[in-house]
Amino acid sequence: MQQIFNFLIKYRNLLLYLFLMVIAVTFTIQSHDYHRSTTIHSTGKITGGILSTRNGVYDYFDLINHNKKLSEENASLRMRLLEIGDTLLGKETTLTFTDSIPYNIFPARVIKNDFYKSDNYITIDIGANQGIQPDMGVISTSGIVGVTDRSNEKFSRVISILNSQISLNAQIKGTSTIGSLKWDGYDPYVMSLEDVPRLAQVKKGDTIITGKQSTLFPSDILIGEVQDAQLVENGSRYKITVRLFNDMTDLDHIYVIKNRDQKAIQEIDTLGTNE
Amino acid sequence: MNKDLLTNIVRFISLLFFQIFLFDQINFLGFINPMVYLLFIILYPIENKRWDIMLISFLLGIILDTFQDTGGAHAAACVTLAFTRPIWLRLVYGESYKMKNIKVLKTSMDRLLLLLLFCIIVHHVIFFSLVIFNGSQILYTLKLTLSIGAATLVVNCIILALFKSRVKS
Repeated sequence: MQQIFNFLIKYRNLLLYLFLMVIAVTFTIQSHDYHRSTTIHSTGKITGGILSTRNGVYDYFDLINHNKKLSEENASLRMRLLEIGDTLLGKETTLTFTDSIPYNIFPARVIKNDFYKSDNYITIDIGANQGIQPDMGVISTSGIVGVTDRSNEKFSRVISILNSQISLNAQIKGTSTIGSLKWDGYDPYVMSLEDVPRLAQVKKGDTIITGKQSTLFPSDILIGEVQDAQLVENGSRYKITVRLFNDMTDLDHIYVIKNRDQKAIQEIDTLGTNE
Repeated sequence: MNKDLLTNIVRFISLLFFQIFLFDQINFLGFINPMVYLLFIILYPIENKRWDIMLISFLLGIILDTFQDTGGAHAAACVTLAFTRPIWLRLVYGESYKMKNIKVLKTSMDRLLLLLLFCIIVHHVIFFSLVIFNGSQILYTLKLTLSIGAATLVVNCIILALFKSRVKS
């Protein structure tokens, strides 16, 4: 007994170090695992509040840039509106069809963004009070941004597409070729489209868009353009390098998309596997 | 003693504040954000007992982890730095550093620089290997460690130089 106490007293610093280290490493492993809820995260009341104060301060330095981006987006939306207006009959407006559109869109602002780690997260300034739930798609004006992960009343955390855990359904525009979009963990401007069949027709400069199989995003949202394509796995599949349209290092105004039919689609999808 | 406590509390809060509000937003060359908060652990008064500095370092690390969504990487790096600090002190100031009752901030700049270098290497290697957490990306981890480590060293030197001149006068 005496020896045990002596041992504990002699090595108390080492034991304390190992104890604290085990806690810290456990938290780290949790944070790298997409499916487990993490203990340490940036959506807490105090943390979120401080981060949004910080954003408020830095906003002033970037106002010109924000205005430019928003007015560009306005212009492109106006163009699209005119396009739709042309194809509508008579004097009906698109607004009468809001019930038939299965998506709700929530505007939000980024208060924290990361891109140099291998698992990156974004914190945004809307939460459960505004109707944000886990697993909703997030886009910006020029392309996709990520998927919501967890939220409290006022803030939400988004899994950035620059995260090794994420894999999204994507498609080459103009064809029905699909693949899964992943990030290799190096360059925040480049992702790769994997599992594309060998017979697919791929050209440099082709546009990559979200696929119809995705329940998170509406189809036809822009992602990026083909930069390079290589045959892998003994030439049976393509691995396509995609240069993102979105600048993931400079995000501010983003939109969260809620798919009304997401649950229904997922239920139908899992029917086959359960039987 | 009381004055020491007050200095440390002020240091803890102000370094955290500047880390979150200023140095996390620099993004030099797109990804370089120097870490100034580890000055707190380096400058913490030298005592025989080590458990208090380890607990405080853990707390400091966990707070930063919640802001950067890094899980427990900051905490692990800080605790390791606190645990190994006596080794670096012995290397830089010699075996008898405990007897001399030195204050780290009052020592000469070249020794301070050496101490800073050792501490930054330990901290950054642990931090970035936990953040990247992928054996196949060792080169990328090294690149981050070296570039951000260099930035941390430069910025910390400037801060120390500014405060040293005040301490002497």
